Amino acid sequence: MRAAQIGLGVALCVLVLAFPQLVNAYWLTVAILALFYAIVTASWALLAGYAGQFSFGHMAFVSLGAYTSGLLVMSFGLPIPLGMAAGVAMCAVVGAGIGYTCLRMRGPYLALFTVAFSEVLRIVIVSENEVTGGSGGLEVTPLFHTRSDAPYYYFGLALLAVSLGLMVWLVRSRWGLFFRAIRENEEAAAAAGVKVVRFRVLVFAISSSFAGLAGGFFGHYIGILTPDIGSVDQMGLVVAMAVIGGAESLYAATIGALLCEALVEALRSYEQWRMVLFGALLLVTIRFARNGLLALAFQAVRQRGLRAVVPRKATP
Amino acid sequence: MADAPMLIEAPMLIEARGLTKNFGGILAVNALDLAVRQGELVGLIGPNGCGKTTTINMLTGHLAPAAGHILVHDTPADGLSASAFAARKVGRTFQITQLFGRMSVLENMLVPGLARAHATWTEATHTARRHLDFLGLSHLEKLQAKNLSGGQQKLLELGRALMLDPEVLFLDEPFAGVNPFLRDEIIVLIQKLHAEGRSFVVVDHDIEAIQRLVQRLVVMARGAKIADGTVEEVRDNQEVLLAYAGA
Repeated sequence: MRAAQIGLGVALCVLVLAFPQLVNAYWLTVAILALFYAIVTASWALLAGYAGQFSFGHMAFVSLGAYTSGLLVMSFGLPIPLGMAAGVAMCAVVGAGIGYTCLRMRGPYLALFTVAFSEVLRIVIVSENEVTGGSGGLEVTPLFHTRSDAPYYYFGLALLAVSLGLMVWLVRSRWGLFFRAIRENEEAAAAAGVKVVRFRVLVFAISSSFAGLAGGFFGHYIGILTPDIGSVDQMGLVVAMAVIGGAESLYAATIGALLCEALVEALRSYEQWRMVLFGALLLVTIRFARNGLLALAFQAVRQRGLRAVVPRKATP
Repeated sequence: MADAPMLIEAPMLIEARGLTKNFGGILAVNALDLAVRQGELVGLIGPNGCGKTTTINMLTGHLAPAAGHILVHDTPADGLSASAFAARKVGRTFQITQLFGRMSVLENMLVPGLARAHATWTEATHTARRHLDFLGLSHLEKLQAKNLSGGQQKLLELGRALMLDPEVLFLDEPFAGVNPFLRDEIIVLIQKLHAEGRSFVVVDHDIEAIQRLVQRLVVMARGAKIADGTVEEVRDNQEVLLAYAGA
């Protein structure tokens, strides 16, 4: 059993590393976008799934990180890694501010507030045409000057691995325990000595930082930024990815994002019907698997594994 | 008003001076003075809506008083958050049990354990298991808290409060919805913890259980303290009888 798991893991690693050599340019682009969505979805899962802060403004932080990096690189000639770091820092500060402002908000009020923030940011980007390029977009220097997208794939993969590693480490730490306690019952968490204000602000700042990092990567890959990246439509897609995968597990949310992006692209020939199918999948998930389809799959695999390990009783 | 049989020599743990709270036009607590010294086991009783829970909420940082002052260890604690009260070893349970439902029993215990300054996982886990053993819940440590029975949830909430190593514990209706056997078990547990030196303020409508348990009774009616004394003194207090008769 253990050997099979190791074998499967090694095969998966080889497949992931060799992926750019196995697919055409189109599917490589899809894979890079899937990696971008995976970071965003995992960071949203950290905020909403673990800490229970249902923000609908997460893509606004992707946009903020992307535009901060893009503008600093294009206007001030900052090196791209520094631009991306500045985007992360900007998102951490604004995320902390949003987290602090929303301290007394729960559920639909928090969602509406963050939608409003998202729209305000989008409209500011559209309006400040001279600085941001408005609806026409802002051209951004690419991260790599190569003909192949393979370096972006490996860079995105590394970003996802590091981001996911940090988030997993975080949720397994005492902070992760406090985030979940706040999600479950803020009053009880406070009575248990958890500094609720501090940790609510922290989780907003941390998850926004990861969104900003993903935004910076996205901007310097695509090469042009438009305000639509922070739109409510995009946010809906990220929420759907997290919910279908399982918002209360970083791994499930990440795999959910990767699979959903692949599914949406695989169904492209069905045009608008693919979104209908995607919506139907979301409805089925919410109705029958509130913890996500992957959580169900993980459970089934575990049970199958147990059955394989534990011998059945002999029938008399 | 009868005099309180306070342990005059014992240090003051928590004190309310002129505590007042109103919700809109309703005066929930009116200029309440209440002090709890080390080693005391106080019962706080009164008819429904007399302000008992509001008093606890203010004395544990869950509600900000409209007027008055709170002192913890003779130090002003006005405006402190609930977590700050917890850090000052003021623990509580809730009228309606408040657990972290989708977290395991052990994780419920670890939250306050790890919220304490300089606590380590090993130390917190060891303490949590010791308390779970004391409460008879150690065999359930991996179970999600929402799957416990009502009585077990009450015990877990008490255990979670114990993880703060509280000097004073406010128990809001610990016997509500609990069968007589578990009620007796909870009484014994409180007595054991009291014998270890912890102070308690127990709010409940189960007068029989309260009489068995406490040394001192504080009675509230219409937001004010109307009696503070031994069980015998309070039992004979005419104002208390009138309050309970609804006159």
